[in-house]
Amino acid sequence: MSGFRDGRLAALKAKISAIEAGGRADSESLPFGTPALDRCLPGGGLPLGQWHEFVGEGMEAETGASPAAFAALVAAPLARRGEAIWILRRDDLFAPGLVGLGFPAERLIQVCARDEDEALAVAEDALSTVGVAAVFAEVEAVDLTAGRRLQLACEKQGATGFVIRRRPYGAASRRGATGSAAATRWKISPAASEPGPGEFGLGPPRWRAELERCRGGRPGAWLLEAAAAYVWEAENGPHPLRLVAELGDRQLAPPQRVRLSA
Amino acid sequence: MRRLAAVDKAGRKLGLFAGQKATDAMALVPDLATAEAEPEADATALTALADWSVRFSPAVAEDAPDGLFLDISGVDHLWGGEAQLVADYRARLAANGIFMRCAIADTPGAAWALAHFGKGAEIIAPAGGQADLLAYLPPAALRLEPEAAAQMERLGLRLLFQILGMPRAPLARRFGQHTLMRIDQAMGRASEALTFRRPPHPWFARLAFFEPISALEDLQRVTRDVAVRLCERLEREGLGARRFRIAFHRVDGEALPLEVGLALAARDPARIAKLFAPKVETVDPGFGIEVVTLEAEEVEPVAGRQTRLDARAEPAVEDGLAPLVDRLSNRLGEDRVWKSAPVQSHVPELSARPAAPLAPVPPRAWNPEAPRPMRLFRQPEPLENVTALTPDDPPSQFRWRKQLHRILHAEGPERIGEEWWRGDIDEISVRHVRDYYRVENQDGGRFWVYREGLYEAGTPARWWMHGVFG
Repeated sequence: MSGFRDGRLAALKAKISAIEAGGRADSESLPFGTPALDRCLPGGGLPLGQWHEFVGEGMEAETGASPAAFAALVAAPLARRGEAIWILRRDDLFAPGLVGLGFPAERLIQVCARDEDEALAVAEDALSTVGVAAVFAEVEAVDLTAGRRLQLACEKQGATGFVIRRRPYGAASRRGATGSAAATRWKISPAASEPGPGEFGLGPPRWRAELERCRGGRPGAWLLEAAAAYVWEAENGPHPLRLVAELGDRQLAPPQRVRLSA
Repeated sequence: MRRLAAVDKAGRKLGLFAGQKATDAMALVPDLATAEAEPEADATALTALADWSVRFSPAVAEDAPDGLFLDISGVDHLWGGEAQLVADYRARLAANGIFMRCAIADTPGAAWALAHFGKGAEIIAPAGGQADLLAYLPPAALRLEPEAAAQMERLGLRLLFQILGMPRAPLARRFGQHTLMRIDQAMGRASEALTFRRPPHPWFARLAFFEPISALEDLQRVTRDVAVRLCERLEREGLGARRFRIAFHRVDGEALPLEVGLALAARDPARIAKLFAPKVETVDPGFGIEVVTLEAEEVEPVAGRQTRLDARAEPAVEDGLAPLVDRLSNRLGEDRVWKSAPVQSHVPELSARPAAPLAPVPPRAWNPEAPRPMRLFRQPEPLENVTALTPDDPPSQFRWRKQLHRILHAEGPERIGEEWWRGDIDEISVRHVRDYYRVENQDGGRFWVYREGLYEAGTPARWWMHGVFG
């Protein structure tokens, strides 16, 4: 009798873990190739088959340029594998700019949604489509329900969502609530570039990326650079983003946590 | 001079005829009721009638001012025969208060002659038998030119058999080549091109119902049923279509057309019905729908596909992306789903154009060495309080969107001129030259700004923000 019960329990446990993994036993991840960053992420890389949130501050909350550029670079290896869809509210994404950063814009399909709900519905539809690897959605906010729905859509085919939070021009943010359904949340702000020695002008674009929240990982802050931006030769590195420096953040840095627990 | 344009049955009995002087008619019938002729309204009504008649045949041509040609080859069996088709047509027209004379013959010419001059309002000529029926009609039945008809009248040629037996050469000499052509067209020796309302094509399916339907579920179901019919035929021929047009014909004669477009030619009835589903919801069935017709357009060959054994292999475009694109472009509108394609232009806003979502675009289509922003503003925004050294230094600070930006690094200028070869010669001006700079502010924000025109001493330069790099 107990043997029978143990068997049943094991079967149920396996079933539950299968449900938790979204029906996919192998939850893949996309490593950045930088140990300092990868060790903060669960599974040693950006988890695939989930959705990630990219937030900008100040002016970037309106233009959404830096979060979009950063998300595009993070997703570039994915976009080479499958189809990519970019959902916009404002039609101001410029494909030549994406190509300059090293994103394969030739596969990118752009969709202009009329409102927030439509944008989220399109994102859900695109995420659950066979063959789509990355879906970018520029929306104002994702509430809990919408976030959960996005997550379910991601799990259907293993597509990865990149939500770029963007406020409509000249409007105060209507919804401050952020979904906790996102696997990771990044705050992206542009950082001063450094031209190479003896060079003038601007160096490769740099961003300050703060991993504010990460399910199953640790937060952190880094200075990253798109080393292969605006050059002809195709990048051959594993990831288009290169670590420049690890940034200590007063709130997020581990030393403080040690002191708190002491 | 006012003349009668048309006369009704009662009027004809009193001796009135079309073309009669109005004063003569009034003298004949003092209490004659007349109404102003409206040729434009008549033409519109005829067009509407032609559209309505599509339920009987997809090929309908107008014969102004008061006739229609229907090519019913291959469709009469849907009614169980030509006589049944005519009876149905007559009944439906009568329900709308329209009475018709009609004839079915091998050629449009013979059908016209019999419908206008034949004995009886309904004549169905047996195949190849139009010559006997035409023999006792007047020459005018051949749609001759007025001079030729008058000439025949003068020569005492009252009936067609007198003319049909004549040798061709003298006939042509006397009455003109046109007469000969009309005879040949009526007898089927020459073909006649009709201008159909819609060009006839074979990709057409139709379902008629004994009882008018109006429930939404029924409409959805018949959409699928009619799609199955058409798609079976498409599949047999190895074809698919990129555009489907469905029309719900209401009892009151209104036809409600809907259309869906597909990114790739397809013939899967379930998918087509699904695309129609949200649009069918908008259909107002009124007192009921009695006929539904489906047409396929942009028909092209579709390579048959093998079902893959390995489900984990890279999925084909037809499986996922194409249906997604179809769903989105039919739901949001075709101009809201696109892919950026390169254009050979160095003017930034012209260098990318929206192309079809599944159009092939070459990789690295734009030169990555010329940095372009992530966000390009459709309308460049003016910069205020710009401090820049003349003549061609980048700005050292400016105000944009109520915020002061101090520039630490700058790159440029990249001079972009207008495409002077496209416009008129006198519109060319140095004011259309733009000097672009990539600049970085104190926080690391990267922008694409430009100065309009060349430097001119005394006039302040105008600066614009065209994009943000991020």
